Amino acid sequence: MNLRYFPVLLFALLLAACGGESAPEFATADVAKTRPLIIASNFPLYFFTREIAGDSAEVIFPAMEGDPVNWKPASEDIARMQSADLVVLNGAGYEAWLGWVSLPDGILLDTSAGIRDRLIPLQEETVHQHGPAGEHSHQGFAFTIWLDPMLAMEQASVIEQAISELVPENQQAHRARLATLQARLAALDEELRIAFAALADQPIIFSHPVYQYLAARYGLNGVSVHWEPGEDPGIKAWIDFQEVLRRHPAKLMIWEGQPGDEVAGQLEQLGIRSIPFHTGSNPPEGSDYFDVMKASVDRLGE
Amino acid sequence: MSGALFLGWRYLVFHQLKTAILVASITLMLFLPAATRVLVNDSAAALTSRADQTPLVVGASGSPLELVLSSLYFHAEQPPELPFASFVELRDTGWAEAIPLNTRFHSRGSPIVGTSLKYFSFRDLDLAQGRLMGMLGECVIGANVAARESVGVGDSLVSSPETVFDIAGVYPLKMTITGVLESNGSADDDAIFVDFKTSWVIQGLGHGHQDLAQPAAAAGVLNRKDGLVTANASVVQYAEITPENVAQFHFHGATGDFPLSSVIVVPPDDKSGALLRGRYQDNNQGMQMIVPSSVLNDLLDTVFTVQNYIILGLAILSLATIAVITLVFLLSQQLRKGEFHTLSRIGASRAYVATLIASEIGFVFIGSLLLATGLTFAVRQYALQILQSFLSL
Amino acid sequence: MIELRDIDFRYPVIGGFGIHIPRLSIPAGECVAVVGPSGSGKTTLLGLLAGILASARGATVINDTDLAVLDDGQRRRFRIEHVGQVFQAFELLHYLSVIENVMLPHYIHAAGADRKDVHQRALQLLSDVGLGLKAGSRPGELSQGEQQRVAVCRAMLNQPALLLADEPTGNLDQANKQNVVDLLLDQAQRNHSTLLMVTHDQSLLGSFSTVLDIQSVLTVTTGQGAKAA
Repeated sequence: MNLRYFPVLLFALLLAACGGESAPEFATADVAKTRPLIIASNFPLYFFTREIAGDSAEVIFPAMEGDPVNWKPASEDIARMQSADLVVLNGAGYEAWLGWVSLPDGILLDTSAGIRDRLIPLQEETVHQHGPAGEHSHQGFAFTIWLDPMLAMEQASVIEQAISELVPENQQAHRARLATLQARLAALDEELRIAFAALADQPIIFSHPVYQYLAARYGLNGVSVHWEPGEDPGIKAWIDFQEVLRRHPAKLMIWEGQPGDEVAGQLEQLGIRSIPFHTGSNPPEGSDYFDVMKASVDRLGE
Repeated sequence: MSGALFLGWRYLVFHQLKTAILVASITLMLFLPAATRVLVNDSAAALTSRADQTPLVVGASGSPLELVLSSLYFHAEQPPELPFASFVELRDTGWAEAIPLNTRFHSRGSPIVGTSLKYFSFRDLDLAQGRLMGMLGECVIGANVAARESVGVGDSLVSSPETVFDIAGVYPLKMTITGVLESNGSADDDAIFVDFKTSWVIQGLGHGHQDLAQPAAAAGVLNRKDGLVTANASVVQYAEITPENVAQFHFHGATGDFPLSSVIVVPPDDKSGALLRGRYQDNNQGMQMIVPSSVLNDLLDTVFTVQNYIILGLAILSLATIAVITLVFLLSQQLRKGEFHTLSRIGASRAYVATLIASEIGFVFIGSLLLATGLTFAVRQYALQILQSFLSL
Repeated sequence: MIELRDIDFRYPVIGGFGIHIPRLSIPAGECVAVVGPSGSGKTTLLGLLAGILASARGATVINDTDLAVLDDGQRRRFRIEHVGQVFQAFELLHYLSVIENVMLPHYIHAAGADRKDVHQRALQLLSDVGLGLKAGSRPGELSQGEQQRVAVCRAMLNQPALLLADEPTGNLDQANKQNVVDLLLDQAQRNHSTLLMVTHDQSLLGSFSTVLDIQSVLTVTTGQGAKAA
């Protein structure tokens, strides 16, 4: 080895060792959000949030098909929720997907946490266990809380507090809009009370067990089956239905959606009138919550 | 006198082996204590830095050092578990942010850290590729894990069973990698991060199987009564969580009882911190709250003491080395008497010969010094990687 | 012109060897073979002429410069610039290349000369003695005759006025002896240098115009006083 160039090599080594990696410049695409982003888990919550927030925040109801209670958020939906400032939840077990998604604690707003004592436990739920003597859970509350306008007001109030924490400078406006919303909910409550009062105590059959809060609020005498609008329930279901009618001679069946003509016809033959009463959880895009509810109230009156 | 320097340099170049041995000896003599100091100081700084960034840690009563090592460095020794309810209670006080950690499991030697998304912003971790985990079964890996396992976004890793015979217990779960973190020279580079709920699935506290209400699962049903369906052992359970089956994953039992290893607590101010520490004084309810930096300082005091002994030993060795080098040098001068006599006869003064000798010594020492400096700088650059590989910290 | 007058030198040890030279003159350009028995002061004479040794009294004049009045540093500089020396054991530095050995006087005392010019002269000298192609070799790669030729080139680098050779053929075989002597004579003539060569080899004397019996010009003294030559 020719050490003639030893000093040069040493100097080069020293330079190399001294010139360490400088911290990389982060080319972060730091797009400053102009407004907070709020995502709601169903349409009524989305509507309330949007009404209260006004321009204070960007409010989103993720596009989904069918009932939001069955929503399985895709990875893009989860990523968007992770980047949101607030995720408005119904609570009471409505969002089953919370059990398997990863979201930051601090952005989750359970709008029914403060009214847990007023939630209606589920009367019947199929649960499962593993092994003859395994765990057995009877968790669960009815989750269509918003159908009781009084409870909906509580949810709206919680939403307003959260939005005002995000955008405190607009708190007054939020509160004003909350008051307006609550006034409309009060008016809806009155309309529903009048509409249901006309039914007095007559037995009602609900196509699905989603009207517990409506029944509790307005003293409805209702029993639920598990029928899907637009589907034939099947012979066994009809037989069970007959049994239900014997115990509960209803003349009115309230459906989540429009029943199929054949089923409605068969019910007519049994002397049962079918009335769709949308829960409003996921109406067509562009709907107004109160219009949806009003339409159901009007149908009750027909 | 530049001629003397030239002759000195040529003498060293000609006697390559002797020169190399001398340079190597002196370089080692200078480098070893310097490198020891750099490694110890840098590692102490790194350890201390990470501990300083972690205000408080809550865990079950036990060894504070074990708690710190498992929470901050995901060290193999696991502290006793504490229930998830304690994390919820902490979080709900509103006095601090709480970050759950479950570090019980591993995948091919890399620790699996079950935690929440808040951990990433707390540790200021950036993604080099992909995204954070979104659902059960997804994971984000540190830079070293990606390099070591040659995996990236879209690949998967499987959790390691704790024992070969525990077939009904810990779950070898296939985890999909959604993101790879930027390297930041900390224990996070060697970790696999999952949602803490995923770690419960690994533990067997949660699982997914066919929907027992569906006809397809009829063979898996042992009994149906009063709305209670009892499954038998033949029900098909999922070994991998996919977007298609994730909704079927669920947990049995009270979540509050589910285990965590520890909770990182980040109070917003001193007052909140004091309130919390008062609450967990005296091993409240079998739990302890520690200040990681205090625990580590005790450990580091011992390390520094050991360092001093090492350097003392090296200094003594250096004296012996200097003595040997001096002897070699003197013998060399003795052998070169004829050469110096020739130089003197031709006309070189005593000062010239002294310069010649001094230049040889000087070149060797300067060369050694430069080499030792360069090596020390190199050690400083890679100190953390060296420590991580040797100490698994 | 070399002239020594009334030189009285003694080695600085108790009972040390010494010489006394009443007078010695050598014309410039003369080539002189110096003969005499061992211990007769030949090497001492060369040492005085080279300025390595200094007489306590008297004058040692080389081309009008009296070395006796110079201090050690001045004598060294004078030696490098004006005196070329060739030694019996060649005394090349093993770690320098051939051309670097020739340039050694320049490395010791550059005297303002440009290194490139000196390098060129060294190369020319080597070429003159047939060693131009071995300029980059190490002394260890050369034969003894070749090494002594390199030593002659070294001695001639600064075109010295005085060329001193102390038994330069002592370690050479017969063929090389004559070659080296011829080389010395040739270089001295070319350079108009005065050459003094100490030798025990009678067969070489014929090449010199002048043979100086050392005992005829100096007397050896010891601690007990002068001894007649």
